Amino acid sequence: MSRADPIFVVHPSSGVPIYRQLIDQVEALVAGGGLQPGDTVPSVRQVAAALGINMMTVSKAWSRLEADGLLQRDRGRGMVVAVSQETRSLADRKGQVRALVDQAVVRGLQLGLSPAQILAVVKSSLEEKSS
Amino acid sequence: MIEHAVPNEAIAVTGLVKRFGSRTVLDAIDLHVPQGQVIGLLGLNGSGKSTLIKCLLGLLRTDAGSALVLGTPAWDLADREKSRIGYVPQEATLYPWLTVSQTVAYVASFYPRWDRAWGEELLARWDLPPGHNTGVLSVGQKQKLALVLALGHRPDLLILDEPVASLDPVARRWFLEAVLETTANGVGTVLFSTHITSDLERVASHVAILREGHVVFHDELDLLKDRVKRLRLEASTALPADLAVPGLLRAEVEGTRALLTVDGVTPALLADLRQRLQTNVTVDDLNLEEIFLELHSGTAAHPHTAR
Repeated sequence: MSRADPIFVVHPSSGVPIYRQLIDQVEALVAGGGLQPGDTVPSVRQVAAALGINMMTVSKAWSRLEADGLLQRDRGRGMVVAVSQETRSLADRKGQVRALVDQAVVRGLQLGLSPAQILAVVKSSLEEKSS
Repeated sequence: MIEHAVPNEAIAVTGLVKRFGSRTVLDAIDLHVPQGQVIGLLGLNGSGKSTLIKCLLGLLRTDAGSALVLGTPAWDLADREKSRIGYVPQEATLYPWLTVSQTVAYVASFYPRWDRAWGEELLARWDLPPGHNTGVLSVGQKQKLALVLALGHRPDLLILDEPVASLDPVARRWFLEAVLETTANGVGTVLFSTHITSDLERVASHVAILREGHVVFHDELDLLKDRVKRLRLEASTALPADLAVPGLLRAEVEGTRALLTVDGVTPALLADLRQRLQTNVTVDDLNLEEIFLELHSGTAAHPHTAR
């Protein structure tokens, strides 16, 4: 994992604590197959340096993920994605996305966008990100 | 966890009181900061931030209580302890007739632990012209130089009083990285007061919020964000004007809608609200600036304010 290859992105001024943003991203990567069982995740030091954040924050995220059984400590290799981890069900993955979409939809309605306009925004984001 | 691996406290303030004449500026402050932490001190102008920092440095004598810094009473700090502390005041005092490199050499001579290579690296990083007299530097450059002077001896405790106000975003980012480097060994501790909450959100593990001489919150920054939320209520019938909600910081009720800021949102609380008031509840996350504003809205006594 080099500085030029950051797989994590954090927004410090979001209302979601940074450690939770990291947990969500690791969970999403594992659920989507971006991180496979046995893959090493970058060390606390590497992530903290690459993102310019406190090491304790990263350490907390990794510890929570370890406690949840998603990551495990592998002697000599650091943290790896747990082998026993089963791929989450489609319903579970959809549920995670639903929670995020709900927030965006509420904001869109508050800003006076029509359902069609909100859909158009989602569609253009999808086209951009999945191309 | 790292927090428990280093039990020593860099700062231990207990029951600290500071009065100026009949005015009590700091009222029974408790603040314990273990080594290795980056703690942000937030407060409005006049909340007592600078006074607290001056008490910690032994620049002001306290009226009651105690302030231990690196294990020594702040008022009795000897040269040996002081050489382990780095301090950047709100306004740097520099000798205008000395050049940048002369200033660094002058200050370095007071510190047995001065790291010349590190000092020079910082000067280069921040584009400080070594041959210029400090008198002709811009406000931002002076601030950067003051930071170099405070960081050059690799202090065990770094205390900064609104250090970044006059830095541009690029320099602020460098500064934050230097702060993180100070604590990377797990021993260095940083306390900094600031108005720029986004800087604090990036690097601070903990935050202490001062209001009118009291510490109204002191804990992990993440915990603060997890705890304080804004609830958006939409009921089918008019909501009562006086909503009894534990931990309520602020309420705006208008007919069938209400906006509540609550400290200590739990699933049980949300379920109770939905049932009791027959209302929809949406939960919004708040960032540090929003939480800070909410904690300062209105004059009602805050639940965490010990009076």
